[in-house]
Amino acid sequence: MLNYFDLNVHAYPETDASVEELLSVAKRYGYTGIAITNHDEVVQEQKESNAVFYGVEIKANSVSDLKRKIKLHGGKVSLLTVHGGNDKINRAAVENPRVDILAHPCGERGEGGLNHVLVRYAAENGVAIDFNMNSIIHSRRGERARTLGKMREILKLVRKYNAPMILTSQAHFIYDLRAPREMIALAALFGMSKEEATSALCDIPRGVLDKRWKKERDVEIL
Amino acid sequence: MNMRYILSLMLHLPPSLRDRRRYLRFEVFCEREIDKRELLKEIWNSLYALYGDVGGSESKVWLIEYHKSEDTNCGVGILRCAHDKVDEVRASLACIHSVNDAQVGIRVIKISGTIKGATRLRR
Repeated sequence: MLNYFDLNVHAYPETDASVEELLSVAKRYGYTGIAITNHDEVVQEQKESNAVFYGVEIKANSVSDLKRKIKLHGGKVSLLTVHGGNDKINRAAVENPRVDILAHPCGERGEGGLNHVLVRYAAENGVAIDFNMNSIIHSRRGERARTLGKMREILKLVRKYNAPMILTSQAHFIYDLRAPREMIALAALFGMSKEEATSALCDIPRGVLDKRWKKERDVEIL
Repeated sequence: MNMRYILSLMLHLPPSLRDRRRYLRFEVFCEREIDKRELLKEIWNSLYALYGDVGGSESKVWLIEYHKSEDTNCGVGILRCAHDKVDEVRASLACIHSVNDAQVGIRVIKISGTIKGATRLRR
């Protein structure tokens, strides 16, 4: 029995979906746990459950804004995610060892990207690179082709530098969640193998939650 | 040989020439009840958007059955596809996010080589 995790789910008050609803659907789909990462705020009413992790997804306009927000949330939440897409924000995120995940580095519409230098930083700092399935599910034609192309490029670099990678749904509604097997099939669209996709849903998210890469590299978490 | 026998030979392909198929039993998790027709249209739209006309024709998708399940807002159905295109069809099912403005999430529950096997529930 594998333990699947979805580390990028948005819940009430940012969206209409409550944590209980999301969790029950995720459990039904076969997930062991989900992480609630609302933009710029931590969910106040936290339900005691070992299947829900509370994190934050930092959305910053500039690098200084990002640094300020990382300082604000660093060490207080179990998961520090950065809303990627902008090249400068991507760079600042992978250079910062306190960041756990860089969410959708190619943006929600395939506008940004990562290069070999940034992926190497991510591998050194233990910042997990997120492949966001929501952008594949919700876009069509040119936009989706661009996103898939970007993901293919990033995947090549991630393989080369052995950076941690994860698959997430970035669900805003309960209907946005997809079962693990569906996520694996979607990951195959940009060339990820079944084994890689499985570990990106099981081992690596578990390691991110346990801060495995941070411990290995003696990164100081304040 | 009587005429009926000859006719039956003409109508049915011999087993060795028949397409190998897989039957996917799937579950639709939806906002409101959706129609079988709407769903099949959306499945084809998604499949052709993802794989184009050539890839879509190779998967030989057909909706065998779809009905509302006992749970309030779910539907279950059986979809037929070519035996080597299961992952592609699964991906195109996962890409469906709405049917006629109703949000949906589809997941495959069971894959079988026969309709009977796909209908039978796991013990």
